[in-house]
Amino acid sequence: MTGDTAGEAAIYARGLTKYFDSLLAVDHISFSIEQGELFGFLGPNGAGKTTTIRIFMNLTRSSEGTATVYGMDTVRDTLALKSVVGIVPEVSNVFPEITARSNLTFTGALYGMGRRESASRAVELLGMFGLEEHGGKKAGQLSLGLKRRLAIAMSMVHRPKVLFLDEPTSGLDVTASRSIREIVKRLNSEGVTFFLTTHNMEEANQLCDRIAVINRGKIIAVDTPGKLRRAASEAQSVEVTLNRRPTAVEEAGLAGIDGVTGVAEAGESYRLLTADPERTLRSLFRFLEAGDLAVSAVSTPGPTLEDVFVKLTSEEQDVGSGS
Amino acid sequence: MLEAAASEVLLKKPGLVVGARKSWAIAVKDMKIYYFKPAILIFGALFPVTIFFAFMMGRNVEAVTLFPGLIALTLFFSTTTVAPFSIPWERMTRTFERLLFAPVSLTELALGKTISSLVFGLVMSIVPLLIGVIFFGSDVAYVWALVLGIVLGNACISNLGTLVSTVGSETPQNVMLLLNLIRLPMMFISGIFIPINELPTWGRVISWFSPVSYVVDLLRRGLGFKDYFGPVTSSLMLVAFGLAMFAVSVWRMKGWNK
Repeated sequence: MTGDTAGEAAIYARGLTKYFDSLLAVDHISFSIEQGELFGFLGPNGAGKTTTIRIFMNLTRSSEGTATVYGMDTVRDTLALKSVVGIVPEVSNVFPEITARSNLTFTGALYGMGRRESASRAVELLGMFGLEEHGGKKAGQLSLGLKRRLAIAMSMVHRPKVLFLDEPTSGLDVTASRSIREIVKRLNSEGVTFFLTTHNMEEANQLCDRIAVINRGKIIAVDTPGKLRRAASEAQSVEVTLNRRPTAVEEAGLAGIDGVTGVAEAGESYRLLTADPERTLRSLFRFLEAGDLAVSAVSTPGPTLEDVFVKLTSEEQDVGSGS
Repeated sequence: MLEAAASEVLLKKPGLVVGARKSWAIAVKDMKIYYFKPAILIFGALFPVTIFFAFMMGRNVEAVTLFPGLIALTLFFSTTTVAPFSIPWERMTRTFERLLFAPVSLTELALGKTISSLVFGLVMSIVPLLIGVIFFGSDVAYVWALVLGIVLGNACISNLGTLVSTVGSETPQNVMLLLNLIRLPMMFISGIFIPINELPTWGRVISWFSPVSYVVDLLRRGLGFKDYFGPVTSSLMLVAFGLAMFAVSVWRMKGWNK
């Protein structure tokens, strides 16, 4: 269940719009996120994801519309709002000249904590984020992954109820990305509401309870990852690995199998796009029996979020171009 | 439950003491990061001393008569150096946003930046005063005038640095360039090298518009030299200039979230 008014929702936007001169960066978007939810904002670069976060933090003023967190208006109640919200921007903007520990205690002081309180919170957070041995190092000396962890730790100093994460794993290696995702899951299980922007489909799929797909400033779909994938049913496929490379004629034959709307090479396999995998499978085996090709492996993977994303954004572009 | 959480936060209005603590935290952080940066030491300490001796070299004047000007010049340059470096630097590296993420008002933020400039200026301007008194026999005629000149002077002029740092540019080089474009001509119309009462009429008129003139005036009174405006006028003008520049700085910062 999702709160659909500003008072009920943890994060709420209605008709949110942002123009940069004549450029429409955010186009009348509306959404509502309930407490404890992990909400993903999925879209390509320049889709309006970061601008939306900046509006919520009052770092950018919206041109139209309303944005609230726990019913607090982003402009009118900005200081009160910031005391319950944390933000981790895409660039880990920690102070490189001071130590990781000082970054944390300084952040504590900005939230009005006394020296003792911020020092003990810093120790707690260094432990929680696996940064104990790096506490005395200048933040500029930390690796990208450690800086990211420190940035998230800094956003948690005041125990926020809501955390905005902008491309949390952008530019990180696999290990660091996994560690960040685990931290996000853990904090979410402790009740923190997340608003997470990403252009990484797999990340959105793994982490989010619901996803809003945004393109060119407009939200084009909001749903759970599973439902979004089901929505793109025609993007289902049959993936087949053959005992040898098919000839050009055989490849043409694959494209002519019942229900197949497209064939794509995927490494050593062929991906037959279809809205009806069962019919395609039956027809595929008839086709193979007629020749001397044999199947090494076959599977029917559902549409990936990437498929959904491509489908939704291409539909949106078609509408936009009037075709 | 959500409304309760929100109203709990909205009712907990931060007090003046908490606000002052936030400003102080910003100032202390700036002290740790910027005071020993080469650019700050060059533009804030070396630059004014060099300019002063370059101007005075070969002039047949008693050393003690130079100290009000030297102290004022050191104060002027040192107290206007930290914020114009730190603010564009932090905007460029996006660490300035860290301050905006937190529940810190722009007034508290600007105050923190101004305090870090002020403390640097205070320390730096006391150095030539001590040199004058200890090594050159400068006579402290009125301690209160000296204290007013140094404290009010730093409190006022540091806001000029904060104000200049709110120009559109996000690179320290451009802001420092603009700052020097303002500082260099101001030196000549503020009585630093030539006392205001010895300036031509147009110079005396323009000197009213430079807050540094009032700092020099108080320092001259404090060190037993003839002043021009008088301590009351100078003090009031420093307070007025300081408040006005602070208010304009905050107003200009408010425009950054467009």
